Amino acid sequence: MMNTQKLGLVFFPAFDWAISPTHPEREERLLYTRDQIVEEGLLDMPSIREYKPKIATYKDIERVHIGIPDIASLITNAHLVSAGGAIAAADAVMNREVKRAFALVRPPGHHAMRVVHGTRGFCTINIEAIMVEYLRKVYGIGKVAIIDTDVHHGDGTQDVFYHDPDTLFVSFHQDGRTLYPGTGFTNEMGSPNALGTTINIPLPPGTTDVGLHEVLDHLILPILADFKPDIIINSAGQDNHYSDPLANMAITAQGYARLADKLKADIAVLEGGYSIENALPYVNVGIILAMAEMDFSKVIEPDIAICPSQSSSVTHYIKKIIEERQHTWAMKEKLRQEAIIKFGEYWQQTRSIYYDDDGINEQQKETVRLCPQCSGYVTIGTEAHGGFGYKTAYIAIIPSKACPTCRSAAYDAVHRAKKQGKYQHYIVQNKYEDRVETL
Amino acid sequence: MFLGLDVGGTFTDGVVITAGKMVSKVKTPTTHENLLQCILTVVDKVVEEIGSKTFERIALSTTIVTNALIEDNIDQVGLCIMPGPGMNTKEALPVEPYILSGYIDHRGRETAQPRQEEVMAACRHFLACDCDVFAVSGKFAVRNPNHELTVAKWLKQDANPVHTSIGAEVSGSLNFLRRTNSAYYNGAVWRRFNNFASAVEKALTDRGIHGPVYVLKADGGTLPLAIARKYPVEAIFTGPAASVLGIMAMNSTNIPGISLDIGGTTTDIALWQHGAPLFAQQGARVAGYATAVRAFRLKSVGIGGDSFVRLENSEIKVGPMRLGSAMAVGGPKPTVTDAMVVAGLIDFGNRQLAVEAMRQLALAKQSPEEVANLVLDEAVMCICQSITGILTEQAAEPVYRVEDIVHGTGLRVEQIIGVGGAAAGLVPLVAKKMGVTYELPHDGMVANAVGAAAARPTLDITLRADTAEGYYTVAELGIKNRLPSMHFSLHDAYQLAEEHLAQLAKDSGILLGETEMIQSEEFNVIRGFSTVGKIMTCRFQVKPGVLWQSKERL
Repeated sequence: MMNTQKLGLVFFPAFDWAISPTHPEREERLLYTRDQIVEEGLLDMPSIREYKPKIATYKDIERVHIGIPDIASLITNAHLVSAGGAIAAADAVMNREVKRAFALVRPPGHHAMRVVHGTRGFCTINIEAIMVEYLRKVYGIGKVAIIDTDVHHGDGTQDVFYHDPDTLFVSFHQDGRTLYPGTGFTNEMGSPNALGTTINIPLPPGTTDVGLHEVLDHLILPILADFKPDIIINSAGQDNHYSDPLANMAITAQGYARLADKLKADIAVLEGGYSIENALPYVNVGIILAMAEMDFSKVIEPDIAICPSQSSSVTHYIKKIIEERQHTWAMKEKLRQEAIIKFGEYWQQTRSIYYDDDGINEQQKETVRLCPQCSGYVTIGTEAHGGFGYKTAYIAIIPSKACPTCRSAAYDAVHRAKKQGKYQHYIVQNKYEDRVETL
Repeated sequence: MFLGLDVGGTFTDGVVITAGKMVSKVKTPTTHENLLQCILTVVDKVVEEIGSKTFERIALSTTIVTNALIEDNIDQVGLCIMPGPGMNTKEALPVEPYILSGYIDHRGRETAQPRQEEVMAACRHFLACDCDVFAVSGKFAVRNPNHELTVAKWLKQDANPVHTSIGAEVSGSLNFLRRTNSAYYNGAVWRRFNNFASAVEKALTDRGIHGPVYVLKADGGTLPLAIARKYPVEAIFTGPAASVLGIMAMNSTNIPGISLDIGGTTTDIALWQHGAPLFAQQGARVAGYATAVRAFRLKSVGIGGDSFVRLENSEIKVGPMRLGSAMAVGGPKPTVTDAMVVAGLIDFGNRQLAVEAMRQLALAKQSPEEVANLVLDEAVMCICQSITGILTEQAAEPVYRVEDIVHGTGLRVEQIIGVGGAAAGLVPLVAKKMGVTYELPHDGMVANAVGAAAARPTLDITLRADTAEGYYTVAELGIKNRLPSMHFSLHDAYQLAEEHLAQLAKDSGILLGETEMIQSEEFNVIRGFSTVGKIMTCRFQVKPGVLWQSKERL
């Protein structure tokens, strides 16, 4: 049966939830977007079907996250509903009720990393990542591509899938030297077993629709065609807009709508976007129309005259970065083999992670086994300082397709750490058996 | 004395109620080609029965607007819209609109001005097609009516139309598309309704009958005829609304549940909570187009007493078509009513003929009683499926607050109230299948006319205050005023809305009665990390419902 309904829209503005009263993530954020969507009459269109969010379970969340000491104490009902919104969008598409879906929900998620001590970049749990793991568990989806079009680097999503060769994570964003979270440089390409499946495209401030579509046409779309994902997810942040108060880019509603039209994501999930009056109402209507395969040519901001044009130096810079990234993509197999040879059995990184919303400083030491049979088990030692004092944990992660060696080695590592007793919590995220265990 | 009239698809009913008691009950076949005729037949019979020509109120539920649309007997409307940026509305409207400049944004700010030369060109275009009825609709006009009113004024100067429908006056709610469709259909049926209204008034005067005439609306309220003349589109789909109101008048329980109005061809399902019927979250569809006309949440299923019953591949099928009345009363084909007669649920017509009807459907070795039970099972199953459908739809209705998702908004059915000709036979079976109790109000056969007689007059207004911008609007009244103070609170908004509603009721000549708030929202407007104001929206209405509720049977 053909779908007459092209787009499933999960609209959940969480009108009773805020991080704090004057925070950008406050009740008012999607008020004007709701007004615009309802006023346009979009929800009455035969090609659009509105869905109510589901309520995500802790099990759904723990397929991605390890909360310290546990996930329940770190999140609110709003997070369960926003992750549930992404899940409802996934179900609508997978059950073929609609051709594609857009979870226009808040709170957002793309800065939330695998280990969670609190909230960073307005995000506590990663709603796309939770949806991806749900798609894999429930529908057996294999290769996933996530295209993050938020102005901020999707460092949380990158972290969750950094060692996973089956997840292509592409993020374009305003250069991390000029914007939160200060990461997303071109040398962040995935750990050796997954090298090349993380692609960062830092763009200079002042990038317009022209530059963005150059990147899309000559880099992102060809890479997608080459990777051949089973499903395409769009982390649809809207803060590249020329009026956004937290960033310095110059994308318009038309730029976003044409992006949605070309990308043809199966599922889009709202991320950031804080120009709540001048951008979000128009950008969202543009994305909705494009995803519903309707005419979006008339979606133009009333103040479009103030949108700057792109300087030639920006154009030049973008051309260069496209060439570099194309080259890296073409060379990725070779780079991967070189990296595996270079690092031997284990790859390791040490990082400090800052939780801006909660004032938490985390130190992480992450080790991945470069296993020739599977993507390799991961261990993470974490120490966090914040208002709560001091929290530590030692964690092992067993991938869902882990080989027997990695499966038992992961437990051995945690038992060894526990014997040494340097941490407060010892946890195994066993994705092979779909459970989280506290040892 | 209150006279209630309901013009139905088959019959026109009239009842007179005084001091909560029904003193007259009249039925006559509906004369579709001339509705006035059956209305007057009922009025004449009623007057004869009660011996009085003076009524406190004469309330009318008619199919005049519905028929005008079905027969396509509607006027051409010069539809002028100001869509501004956004969706391309062209495909979604019933007629080709004339598109004008001018845009109001979501905060009610004017971001592009309408242009008089364009309006003049629109007039030339529509006058060339002999339009003398216009409709004007602008996006976000409910946030600032100035552009719609300006364009309407220019239209009047240039084209001098007999009527202009204005989007934000027809509905004060967000949804440009629905308001536009409402304004268009309001204009399209305006002449037909007004001619009818004049004919009714004249006929009553000629007969020396006194009493203010009211017209029923789809949301179960009534409007004085003078007001209804301005908003005729509201008088669509009043039949089911009349029946729901009738149930309200006849039933005083607060048990959550459903009502079933089982007539000849259809069963209308409505949902009940706290003793009141639930409204649909969205307006009704008119001729397939979404409008802003408020209506009860109803679902119709093609099962009724006269539903045609036949065998298809050795299986019993029921409805949705009707080929005539039951064989028990000389009809041509087996019907659900025949099955009810054979099963001993009702006593109606000639039982022998009903048995013959069941025999026609019997497979080898089946008795007429067995066939009758199969027919009833099938009919009950169809009704139950639709009940499940409407309950699922209600539960799936989107909500926008965490609290509402986590705690749910579903309805628990505990009771069924049945009215209509075929309710007595079928409702007990449906209730048994669902495991709930049921009630069959005594005068359920004329629930629709009782509803018309008892329906309260209603009005509603939407007040939106934006303290950051410093003004408030009441869309339905075309008001945009400065706020009296910068420290305007939600409580002040409620008070102001109540005042405007009271004034509107007074101007419309209706008794204010009990009012209620049907929507309320308040947001802090934060700019640069400090609160610069609040946006408040509240909607108040004169409470719909019945003028009196029976403690015992009417």
